[in-house]
Amino acid sequence: MPKDDEHSVSTAGNLDPALFGPAPARDERFTEKRRWIECANFPNDHPLRIIEFFHRQMNEELNGVENAAQSLADFPDTDWKVRMSIARQCADEARHVEMFRRIFESRGGKLGEYPILNFQYRIIANLGDLLSRLVVQNRSFEAGGIDAVSFAIDEARKRGDQELVDLFEMQQADEITHVRFANEFISETIRKDPRAALRVAKALTLASTAFLEVMGREAIEKVAYLTDEKGRLEAGFGLAEVKAATTQAIKRRASYESH
Amino acid sequence: MSLSVQERAEYVATFRFIQVFLMETLARWVPPTPEMEVKVLFGRHIWDLAQQADALGRRGYELRAPLQFSLRPAESYVEVLEEFARTNTTPQKIHGFYDVILPGLAARYRNYLERTDRLLDEPTVRVVEKILGEFNRMIGESEALRKELSQLRLTDKDWPAGLAKREASEANIVVRRSSAAVA
Repeated sequence: MPKDDEHSVSTAGNLDPALFGPAPARDERFTEKRRWIECANFPNDHPLRIIEFFHRQMNEELNGVENAAQSLADFPDTDWKVRMSIARQCADEARHVEMFRRIFESRGGKLGEYPILNFQYRIIANLGDLLSRLVVQNRSFEAGGIDAVSFAIDEARKRGDQELVDLFEMQQADEITHVRFANEFISETIRKDPRAALRVAKALTLASTAFLEVMGREAIEKVAYLTDEKGRLEAGFGLAEVKAATTQAIKRRASYESH
Repeated sequence: MSLSVQERAEYVATFRFIQVFLMETLARWVPPTPEMEVKVLFGRHIWDLAQQADALGRRGYELRAPLQFSLRPAESYVEVLEEFARTNTTPQKIHGFYDVILPGLAARYRNYLERTDRLLDEPTVRVVEKILGEFNRMIGESEALRKELSQLRLTDKDWPAGLAKREASEANIVVRRSSAAVA
């Protein structure tokens, strides 16, 4: 059985050690890559695109379990109510892993068939305080997930894929809950100590730099979806924040379409 | 001999300490455990353990202790837990947690149910009985996973017995405090 540091990780293009911590352990079924470009990135109309997406998403959800669990272990003095929300997130993300595994295998996929990325864990667990971690994991990555899933629900509905619509709708409801508790924690922390806003800004800058290093401009600019304003409002974002996110998404899409 | 309200609060707060410790142990194990299915099992059970701790923490408040109050158990028992938390291999984590530590804690819960007055202390009885039912489910889920993944089988068959002996060596894990220390 492989240990933490023995699983297969690509050596192409080492990532900045200041931005990325160690990878979480994976067993011998999985091959970890460091950058998006090394993954199986099928074109939009390829029949395997959605199958590979299920596998990739399953592993991203596993990163979600790992990040929430790591934060629960690392910050024992956090308010119990917040720890309960993080513990709940562990179980939700674990359920999401099983949801994506089930649909992946039911449609012919085999575990480990495609490479995986563990950048979410490597970026987030590398941050030294809970505020920074929740800002990046829940308020940034998971909030982006709310937007992405809204788009994916519409696409699945157009294809008449009700099984996938049901899965995405459940995932989205869970993610809204995760973003909401993080937003409440972040607001409360900044209310008590306004200087904490600086940590928020620093964490977002670090995560954004690290994300770009993994994904490259090509992957980021290809993002086709806009902002799920209703979902973000339910998740505790202010109206001005939601509008700013929408403006940013429109600009990003216009920039991609003009190329 | 029946238990006083303070003694019940001390038991409940001690149980809560253990529940939180076990939740943190599973949480700490998730990233370095290689098998995806085991991470998923731990992830689900972290939430179970948190809810159980929460129920005990609310019951402790009703027994006139602070809300979500924990009391550190007898040091010899804490040492067993801490040593077990440093377990490295997945089979030992699984077998130790689900075959020894949870059943050991269940035995302590059952012992409490035998000692307390089930009418006077009915709210605690309900909390503890619910936890015992959930422990059975959690243990069952771990057994199902072990049937699915043969690599989770333990090679050292004597290891759980050694852990069980250490776990059971301290019969009374509740450390008595003055009433001021509990309230």
